[in-house]
Amino acid sequence: MAPPDRDRRPILCGEVRTSVLRTSEALTARTAAQLLNLRPDEHVLLSERPNLRVASPQLLTGVDCRLPSLNGSRPRAVGTVAARAVLTEGRVLQASAFARLVPGGGDHRKPWGHYLLRPGVVEPLGRHQDGEFTEGFLAAAPLPGGVLNPGAVAERLLDEVLRHRLLDQRAPFKSGRTRLRWVALPAAGDGVTSIERFTVAADGLRTVALRVAPADPSAVAALCEDLALHDWLLTTLVALVERSRLGSGDREAVLTALRPVVDHLLHLWMPGARVPDVLSGVWETLERRPGFSRQWQALVQRIRDQVALQTVSLPRPVLADS
Amino acid sequence: MLVFAASDKGGTGRSVTSSNVAYRRALAGDDVCYLDFDFGSPTAAAVFDVPGASRGVASAGLHSHLQGRHTEPHRIDVWAESEHDELRYRPTGSGRLVLLPGDRDGGEFAIGKDTVRRCVNLFLQLESEFDVVVVDLSAGRSYAVDMVLEATAQPELQGVLSRWLVFHRWTHQHVIAAHGLVFGERGIVAGGVERGHDKGALRDSIRFVRAAVPDPESPLWSHVPLAQSEWMRKCDRDLTELAAELELGYARLLGKIPLEPVLQWREQLITDEDVLASKVAGMATRQALEELAAALVDDEAWERQ
Ligand SMILES: Nc1ncnc2c1ncn2[C@@H]1O[C@H](COP(=O)(O)OP(=O)(O)O)[C@@H](O)[C@H]1O
Ligand SMILES: [Mg+2]
Repeated sequence: MAPPDRDRRPILCGEVRTSVLRTSEALTARTAAQLLNLRPDEHVLLSERPNLRVASPQLLTGVDCRLPSLNGSRPRAVGTVAARAVLTEGRVLQASAFARLVPGGGDHRKPWGHYLLRPGVVEPLGRHQDGEFTEGFLAAAPLPGGVLNPGAVAERLLDEVLRHRLLDQRAPFKSGRTRLRWVALPAAGDGVTSIERFTVAADGLRTVALRVAPADPSAVAALCEDLALHDWLLTTLVALVERSRLGSGDREAVLTALRPVVDHLLHLWMPGARVPDVLSGVWETLERRPGFSRQWQALVQRIRDQVALQTVSLPRPVLADS
Repeated sequence: MLVFAASDKGGTGRSVTSSNVAYRRALAGDDVCYLDFDFGSPTAAAVFDVPGASRGVASAGLHSHLQGRHTEPHRIDVWAESEHDELRYRPTGSGRLVLLPGDRDGGEFAIGKDTVRRCVNLFLQLESEFDVVVVDLSAGRSYAVDMVLEATAQPELQGVLSRWLVFHRWTHQHVIAAHGLVFGERGIVAGGVERGHDKGALRDSIRFVRAAVPDPESPLWSHVPLAQSEWMRKCDRDLTELAAELELGYARLLGKIPLEPVLQWREQLITDEDVLASKVAGMATRQALEELAAALVDDEAWERQ
């Protein structure tokens, strides 16, 4: 039998969208803070170690929606989705939105004041099954209209920031956006954090299912932002190396194509840098298999070898030492 | 780069020619995206031979995306989803070829501030992902044309290179109509200026493409009687003169696609297989498409005044 609602630990769900910042030069800490100053009454968060990361204040979006499910039951839920924008090294922009599904919301919708006191909490009205929700939420297809959709909240935020007047809309290289949709269920028993699923669907959607030790919801969301950031970096690097036709004849063309990679991407790889210890098990698993860093390092080595070869064979270096 | 494909009338060859140009850019290694903004008749997917989308998709097409009904517009990876034998495998060295189809039950729609904002977001996002973004616009001074004129006048799109291709057939009426669409009182230039575009810059970003042009010298006509052949030559000369008078002359001409029997029969991409192996399509057509695809990204061709 399922435990009574009040004994269930809430599950978290969210989505992260990651894009290059469309600007020819990476933003400094100061301009980044201006860009992400999305609420006049609150400050941006700025951290410079081990790399520059600026985060906007948290924004809330009220939702009165259905919970996704595969069997079509779709119970109603009311509350707020929390979102923020994060900029890493003035170059990679992410919008991240999440909600905590807290059972026991009763059968009827309460006044908004109730929900505003619980930022980032969505209360299902009536009963729902965590398993049903998880499967429905992580299903690869786009979520149907009217359903809880942190991705749509994140997308709006991302577009809004990307249109800011501070940006000249000239990115140094072509790259796509990635979407990473995630749920975090409470870890059973000893409460060790682990990753149960990391898949890439045909339409590019990444889905992640975590089991997490008791932790601050925003720390779990930050872990997912970190996963999404590195997944985007790897995806983008693979695509750029492929486009450069590394290994084909024309060395100089290859180097021209790789130059923005060297200038703007290679220094961004720092998996787990800000992930608290209770959640770090996730990165350890991913590093064992599929081995994100191994693939990244291998690509970086290939690029550096090309640069080195070229510098040797040309009268003057095409690329500065990097 | 954003490329807007426009024409005064339907049936000029706008979709078929611009799809072929998109295909040839992708073969040349560019990442290319093709947007079906012909809201009344979204048929681009048919040209790319994508099953199930030939008259637009059932949901999440561009139409419903721009109206805010779907956050994610449907994307079709042509190399993966096309049923065309030659398209099913992505050739080495080629770029991506992605189609954003229209909605089956589309139709023109009124444009509000939100539509324009979504359109700007879409263009900015795709432009940062693809080398070439081709936008196939409904014929005439349609809502689609108004919307992209409005969108490209927004400050966020000032740093983004936009080019216009205006397609027309090679007849008296079509030449006059194409002139009207661009330079007329209610034309693209006037409409753009109304929305804040710089007149000179907008004019300079427009080139014409003549589609389905009968070539009097072509073997197709080698058996017609002399009088008829003479007559065709004369028509061609007269049209050339008319085009020059109406500012559709050499300086603003980007390409000229011959009348192609294969395209007469079927809206499709002209692959090298069609030309070289099975020889159903003409070498001259392939050549013209190839040249147009090259001219599209050749800055010199766009600097001629
Ligand atoms: N170069 C050409 N030669 C012969 N027929 C053509 C040529 N280009 C296009 N067509 C045909 O003309 C018709 C209209 O073309 P289409 O691209 O659908 O026009 P539009 O998009 O302007 O309405 C189609 O049947 C197409 O196959
Ligand atoms: Mg058409």
